[in-house]
Amino acid sequence: MAAALVLLDAGGTVTFANARAAALLGCAELVGLPIRSLPAACGGAEPEGAALAEAVRAGRSLRLHLALGDERLVETALTPLSTGGFALTFEDVTEHIRGAALARQEPLTGLCNRVGLHDHLHAALAEAARTGAPLAVLMLDLDRFKSVNDTLGHPVGDALLRKVAERLRRATRREDVVARLGGDEFAILQAGAHGGAAQPEAAEALARRLVDLVGRTYVVDGHMLNVGVSVGVALSPADGADADDLLKHADLALYRAKAEGRGTYRFFEPAMNAQMQARRSLEIDLRRALALKQFELAFQPQIQLETGAVVGFEALLRWNHPERGPVSPALFIPLAEEIGLIVGIGEWALRAACREAAGWTQAASIAVNLSPVQFRGGRLVETVMNVLAQTGLDPARLELEITEGALLENTDGVLAVLNGLRALGVRISMDDFGTGYSSLSYLQKFPFDKIKIDQSFVRGMEDNAECGAIVRAIARLGASLGMRTTAEGVETPDQLAAIRAEGCTEVQGYLTGRPMPAAQAAALLCRPVAQTPVRPATLPPARPADTLTA
Amino acid sequence: MSRDLCRLVYYSRNRVAGAPTAMDETIRGILAVSRVNNARVGVTGALMFNAGCFAQVLEGPSEAVETTFERIQQDERHGEVSLLALEPVEERLFTDWSMAYVGASQADAARYGDMAGESGFDLSRMTGDKLCAVLHGLALEEEAAAAA
Repeated sequence: MAAALVLLDAGGTVTFANARAAALLGCAELVGLPIRSLPAACGGAEPEGAALAEAVRAGRSLRLHLALGDERLVETALTPLSTGGFALTFEDVTEHIRGAALARQEPLTGLCNRVGLHDHLHAALAEAARTGAPLAVLMLDLDRFKSVNDTLGHPVGDALLRKVAERLRRATRREDVVARLGGDEFAILQAGAHGGAAQPEAAEALARRLVDLVGRTYVVDGHMLNVGVSVGVALSPADGADADDLLKHADLALYRAKAEGRGTYRFFEPAMNAQMQARRSLEIDLRRALALKQFELAFQPQIQLETGAVVGFEALLRWNHPERGPVSPALFIPLAEEIGLIVGIGEWALRAACREAAGWTQAASIAVNLSPVQFRGGRLVETVMNVLAQTGLDPARLELEITEGALLENTDGVLAVLNGLRALGVRISMDDFGTGYSSLSYLQKFPFDKIKIDQSFVRGMEDNAECGAIVRAIARLGASLGMRTTAEGVETPDQLAAIRAEGCTEVQGYLTGRPMPAAQAAALLCRPVAQTPVRPATLPPARPADTLTA
Repeated sequence: MSRDLCRLVYYSRNRVAGAPTAMDETIRGILAVSRVNNARVGVTGALMFNAGCFAQVLEGPSEAVETTFERIQQDERHGEVSLLALEPVEERLFTDWSMAYVGASQADAARYGDMAGESGFDLSRMTGDKLCAVLHGLALEEEAAAAA
């Protein structure tokens, strides 16, 4: 197809226009027009005419976008001809330009999308490299947005996102770029030296305002909605000179803001990189630890206070990594829970503990810890049933320990699972009692077989009268509810005497037996039952790290 | 119109700083803008203000009340906004004016002090409806005083 073409004489007057040019410009009478008036004659703006006339006078080429009256954009190229005069060619780029803008826009909120943010960030970094002006990238993530979507549906969630977007736009300056990166993730590019804003002060002021403004109650469709926002900030050039680094570092800072309670902001610090790498490397090792058989169980004796007899053991998870050595459960259990690995690891621990206990010469009980995460999959009862069938352990000897954390979310669902487990004949203990929130209501909702009193109260008994009162209250509560009570973390004879005086039924701690390998636990059960009151075991002094239970 | 009528009551912390006259000017500015905006979309109500807080009732079509409240939420001249009530109502308590400013006079300041005392100086303890009723009484008195 022929290009739209207009020829000018050396003075800039139109001498020829082909049919295509006339159609494109929407003007039939082009010949005879001075170049200066051509854009205006086609509904365009005056300044473009002046720019073209200036180029003609200077005898040079020029390329510009001509905005026509009907909102079309025409790319216009002026070229001097060797024979004298000029050629003007036109190309309609309306669709191209609009398409490019749309490709950088996020349809729900009208904010720019990830591609758009990258474009702006690249441009801003190039500008900053020239001027030396600092810029900031803020990464935002809404807190509790998912529950809005889940409970009220996507139309309400979408309306909320539009309101959040509006607040972000209102809270920022015109030259800032606000982007929605997907879901409930947003980003803001704070660039340019406009207003003389200094960094990091400007970014901090904005982050603080965003936490306040976005966190205020929304009213959508008759519902009061409350979400918060966490913000991570990275600055250029201090935290990175290229777009990918800046975005990555702002993300790391956001991760930290969320880890430290949400509804807050954090600036990137170089240490976050190292910490994240350490976490990633631990995750890689953890993901293969089960397959490489790096886990083992330690067994800590539980002593009946009345008889001094070992009545059971708690199985404690240990991870021995060939290079790392023993890894603290306080380090790897939360990570395993976060990435869901705890389900497989927990099942392994349950099977290994039951198999071991099934081989003991006495019918001592075996306690195994359950993570709240294990309740979510809907397969826990089935798993326990299979393990009992495979190992042949009497269900009455298995004690599953849960913490209040398991009951915090979806209480009814968890209670249904507990009742299912109880129906198998296994016992259920409440672990770490006294450290959570609403313990008493949970005791009422489910008839636990045993309450384990958190070691912090036991340790505090000697110096702190309140701790003694709490231990006494829990022991009596247990007695009147028909639940046994185990005092955890007993380390000294004085603590043991105090525990005994308060009426606990069982005791578990370094004083009466440290966690030990399976073979040693089995051997302990082969000894004749001690009928004398519990005496301190002759064991080396305690190492605090060993008291961590898993 | 009355089919989709709702009432929203909130209170918030006043962040307007400065001398009493400057503060008064700012508050009157807020009021003037609100009167115009709210009359256009059929929202009525009462705004109560003192140096410590704003308390406001908004009544009107649900969508207009939501839009108005969203604009208020974006205003950084106040903060710590507590939404006390959001409910459908049969009829308006505040019908004849777009917004009523209460709290300019010494008499109102004294009255406001009583209310704070009644609730143990803790506005958040008041239920939305109680606040609404108190606001209404004050607004009516203000109107009566203006008419006299």
